[in-house]
Amino acid sequence: MIWFVMILIGFINFIFRISMFSGIPNIHLPLSLNRYVVYVPTSVLSAIIASSLISFNGQEVLYEAEKLVAASIAVIFAYLTKSVSATLVAGLITIWIM
Amino acid sequence: MDATTKKYLTSGKMNRTEFFLGVSAMLPLLLGVVPFGLVFGVLGISSGLTKTETILMSSIIFAGASQVVFAQLWAAGSAYIVIGSSVALINLRHVLYSTSVAQYLEKLNLKWRIILAYLLTDEAFAVSIRRFTAHGTSKPVHFFMLGAGLTLWLAWQISTIIGVIAGSTIPENWELAFAIPLTFIAIVVPLLRSIPTIVSALTSGLIAICGQSLPWNSWIIIAALGGILMGAFIEKWNHNK
Repeated sequence: MIWFVMILIGFINFIFRISMFSGIPNIHLPLSLNRYVVYVPTSVLSAIIASSLISFNGQEVLYEAEKLVAASIAVIFAYLTKSVSATLVAGLITIWIM
Repeated sequence: MDATTKKYLTSGKMNRTEFFLGVSAMLPLLLGVVPFGLVFGVLGISSGLTKTETILMSSIIFAGASQVVFAQLWAAGSAYIVIGSSVALINLRHVLYSTSVAQYLEKLNLKWRIILAYLLTDEAFAVSIRRFTAHGTSKPVHFFMLGAGLTLWLAWQISTIIGVIAGSTIPENWELAFAIPLTFIAIVVPLLRSIPTIVSALTSGLIAICGQSLPWNSWIIIAALGGILMGAFIEKWNHNK
């Protein structure tokens, strides 16, 4: 089953990538959709970041303080350096020493 | 040497030059790609995927964030429809890239278009579009994109394989799974340059936190859609003010 899901996703991804130069004429992205697509990466990734730091089960808020501190330091490093490596190293070192 | 041969030789040389310019344009970006590939390799194994599944996913899906989300949701036992639609949503941005590069690639033959579409990633797009807009009509820039795309592809495959090998030996208390949110922080934070984007990210984060107990891990889709709609809404509201 995993292979089926993986190949299907790979195929969909390929269709997205070739969509606008596939040779099939008159395929254009509706301009209205354009307005939404710019928010896709930040929205999806923020959801994953937030869920790996804090969760709320209806009664209590669960979190690990070390992870919140490490993530905050990572945010500062990401803002200042824009580098994946620097952010990773800063965040991981923080969590290791805490 | 007749004119045709000469033209053929010079164009071959130009193609090679473009190809290697693409390769060298991609090299600095590998600093961000390689750690991400390592992390994915490690995570794939710790999510319960086999070595073969993890390694082949890097060439079948070939998109960093989607592969990580796939592995995480798979490990959490999410519904296939949730996995599929989350990953599709993440990959939707490729349609935007496709739109931008279309005018430079649509004249190429099908084989070229298939290869370049497969190699179209955030990084390949970022370096190629600069070259395209500067020299799109005067130089064989498709070779540039091929060079950039192949370099990234190779780095991604190799770093995944190293991650997979390391993944079976790295002790759990190294907290390497935490590298995932860290990597995403590194991607997202530089993108938060406007009020609507910031609000969109916060909205999505808040929904994700509150939606943890929703069935089939559907929080990811709901949070993403909420963030997207909120971003577009704030943008429009700002505009109309």
